[in-house]
Amino acid sequence: MNTLSPTTDHAITEAPWIKWSLIGLALSFLALFLVLPLAVVLYGAFEAGINVWWQAITDPDALAAIRLTLLVLIIVVPTNAIFGVAIAWAIAKFEFRGKTLLISIIDMPFAISPVVVGLIFVILFGAQGWFGPWLAAHDLKVIFAVPGIIIVIMFGTLPFVARELIPLMQQQGKDEEEASLTLGANGLKTFWYVTLPNIKWGLLYGVILCNARAMGEFGAVAVVSGRIRGETNTMPLHIEVLYNEYMFTAAFAVSSLLTGLALVTIVLKSMVEWKDERKHKTH
Amino acid sequence: MGKAVMKSVLPGFGITLGFSVLYLSLLFLLPVAGLFLFTLQMSWADFWVAISHPQVVASYKLSFAASFIGATINAVFGTLVAWVLVRYQFLGKKVVDALVDLPFALPTAVAGIALVTLYSTTGWVGQYLYLWGIKVAYSEIGVVIALTYIGLPFVVRTVQPVLADFSKELEEASASLGASRFTTIRRVILPAVLPALLTGYALAFAKAVGEYGSVIFISGNLPYRTEITPLLIVSKAEQYDYNGAAAIGVVMLAAAFILLLIINSLQWWASKRG
Amino acid sequence: MSIHIQQVNKHFGNFVAVDSVNLEIKTGELTALLGPSGSGKTTLLRIIAGLEQADSGIVKFNGEDITTQHVSERGVGFVFQHYALFKHMTVFENVAYGLTVRPRKTRPSKAEIAEKVHSLLKLVQLDWTADRYPSQLSGGQRQRIALARALAVEPKVLLLDEPFGALDAKVRAELRRWLRRLHDEINVTTVFVTHDQEEALEVADKIVVMNKGRIEQQGTPEEVYDTPSNPFVYEFLGNVNLFHARVKHGHSTIGNIHIPSPEHAEREEEQQGLAYVRPHEIEVLTQPTENAIKVNLDLVTIVGPVARLEVLTEIDEQLIHVELSKVQFKQLGISKGDNAWIQPRYSKVFLGEGI
Repeated sequence: MNTLSPTTDHAITEAPWIKWSLIGLALSFLALFLVLPLAVVLYGAFEAGINVWWQAITDPDALAAIRLTLLVLIIVVPTNAIFGVAIAWAIAKFEFRGKTLLISIIDMPFAISPVVVGLIFVILFGAQGWFGPWLAAHDLKVIFAVPGIIIVIMFGTLPFVARELIPLMQQQGKDEEEASLTLGANGLKTFWYVTLPNIKWGLLYGVILCNARAMGEFGAVAVVSGRIRGETNTMPLHIEVLYNEYMFTAAFAVSSLLTGLALVTIVLKSMVEWKDERKHKTH
Repeated sequence: MGKAVMKSVLPGFGITLGFSVLYLSLLFLLPVAGLFLFTLQMSWADFWVAISHPQVVASYKLSFAASFIGATINAVFGTLVAWVLVRYQFLGKKVVDALVDLPFALPTAVAGIALVTLYSTTGWVGQYLYLWGIKVAYSEIGVVIALTYIGLPFVVRTVQPVLADFSKELEEASASLGASRFTTIRRVILPAVLPALLTGYALAFAKAVGEYGSVIFISGNLPYRTEITPLLIVSKAEQYDYNGAAAIGVVMLAAAFILLLIINSLQWWASKRG
Repeated sequence: MSIHIQQVNKHFGNFVAVDSVNLEIKTGELTALLGPSGSGKTTLLRIIAGLEQADSGIVKFNGEDITTQHVSERGVGFVFQHYALFKHMTVFENVAYGLTVRPRKTRPSKAEIAEKVHSLLKLVQLDWTADRYPSQLSGGQRQRIALARALAVEPKVLLLDEPFGALDAKVRAELRRWLRRLHDEINVTTVFVTHDQEEALEVADKIVVMNKGRIEQQGTPEEVYDTPSNPFVYEFLGNVNLFHARVKHGHSTIGNIHIPSPEHAEREEEQQGLAYVRPHEIEVLTQPTENAIKVNLDLVTIVGPVARLEVLTEIDEQLIHVELSKVQFKQLGISKGDNAWIQPRYSKVFLGEGI
């Protein structure tokens, strides 16, 4: 890669014209699939001017969708973060039977289609579902209501924090925790002063991913929400409703908010990875 | 469990494992088991009719074929992108690298309306393709485009670390033994990244089969032609045909678990090779 | 603080890690637990620390039963093989940790902690590293910081698990001499685990040789090296040559030579045994002598001041290792291919076919 070893370097690199052709091909592919969709959303959102954009996102139904999405995030993300830390602690620091099975179960929610997730809870809690009559008798509503939306999003984003933390904590072992205990610290202090600082970047990374997916979850919510305007429409569902009513500018305006959050997610993720990489280099 | 606690002086085993297992069971295992139990109430004949209706079979064909094509496109271009990102220096590489995750982060509904707008006959890309007589939106090609989009990060992100870790010495050894650059890539590098490539391929395929949000806008949902299987589940559920939806759902779940098994075997193979 | 270990057992699944061990460690002593990997030495150390629970048996500090006491209350200083320094804390914060996590009531003031940390850093000669992170230190420096951290809580007992195992040879040799001097200075009861016999012989007051979860022998370095009580200890501590021998009336016969074996004086019937002879306990002669074995010099390696010879016996081509000083070897004036005669100066014979 430098001038010190031109001969070996030549042996393991490609001719410049091949190199630049490959870069050009790869960038064209990414431009077509990643940049153009991004551009079309932003163009569609601001095409009619900033005032129209502002009206679209301050529309009462849009505001209700934003509020609902935030409510879901506030409940789902911390719950799945606590679950992730708990299961990673149990798996990484202790030996027990069935550990491998548990690890493979955690991966499963990823493999299930979002619409099947929605369907599962409709069948359990829907009007004609298993617990439907019981819920109706007690005047509780899960499907076509906020609890159903929260449950399916929780299911869909269940593994994100756990999957970041388990390999990280397994690799860190338990030497530092044991050292802390021999120095007289109790379990909580050990977790707070030793474990948590060691996993904070991985935890943040998992939370960012979980947040991004919870915010954008669509298929599962589409099945359980019932799309009641101003009540059970999350932001992605609101976008769908607007689009199907040919209100394209409004649809893109709300989309631009989610796109902005997606871009923030990517930036945060890169920063965490960058930080992590630097840390590894110094060790 | 009591014995395992005795083995370690670290606290919290009982409560963390107990909470994890309870949470997983209530939120995931029991509900999934519920779906299977629900279909067991159906007679075999009803079940068979539900999953083998011609409209449903047409959707399987579309979902699997389009996922297959999408994953294949990603295998080729994903490997190319990973190679370019690991091996070459160019302006804006960090930004490009970060952008690869966009399909993970961008909500599928947003991707869906963006793609249909791009590829409609009046869209930025679609209008030129239409001049050539190619109609992308509301056709099978649109489904392939959407499934390629959502599978894009998988191959890149599985192949990239393997390529980055790949020792340059092996390539130098191959070159010093007289192999051409093409032979080195084919005989030395490609076999090393193959397990990761196949894992990424399987992940992209599995994701595509179950995908809903990014597809339904661009596909147009024409019965027997551009209806994907997840869409049929949604429309049956919306019509309160829970039996029909559950039967197809079980087929999808079975496919998902088989794919997961394949992915796990591939990862096991990859780790054994590493 | 003395340590008493009584009938301690520990299993991992079917594997017996510690097998009915009894051990007494005196106050202020520096003891080495020496053995091959899997001999149970680390497990025993972790049981003393409270990092593992014994399946059965009793551990006492100063006569007080602490078997069920939690590790965080035992007041032991534990030094890990891979340092286990807290990566995200500075050296100062690492050493101060044991004091800062104390409950408010017993926690020293900030100034007292700072003073204590700096005096400990001086003790380990790393005062200048206080604001650095562990990743900026060398392996030997990290291990000294780990030791300072363990000493900060004024432990009653200092336990070290293969403390120098991850370091390169030169640093290892320096650090073990340093540890010996440090121990003489602070005089706290210390137990360290090692698989390196040289380390144990050089540093320890007392060596406990372990194998397969049991204690094979314990004593001063001199005792265990000079008078191993069984073949395992003989082979584990230093190199050794094995000869088939016949034993009778306090005499052993190896091939055509006879050597005294006073430990078998009572033996009336002739018995088979194995004679253990260390390479440096063999005399090399250039002239045929009575009571010497004729050999052929096969290989000579000079390592600094020492000459290591490999010789083959004339009768059955058995390979024998001999060690002598380079000066002595030069005086003999022999080279590869020459004949010579060897005579064991000292040997110990164990009955039976050995281990």
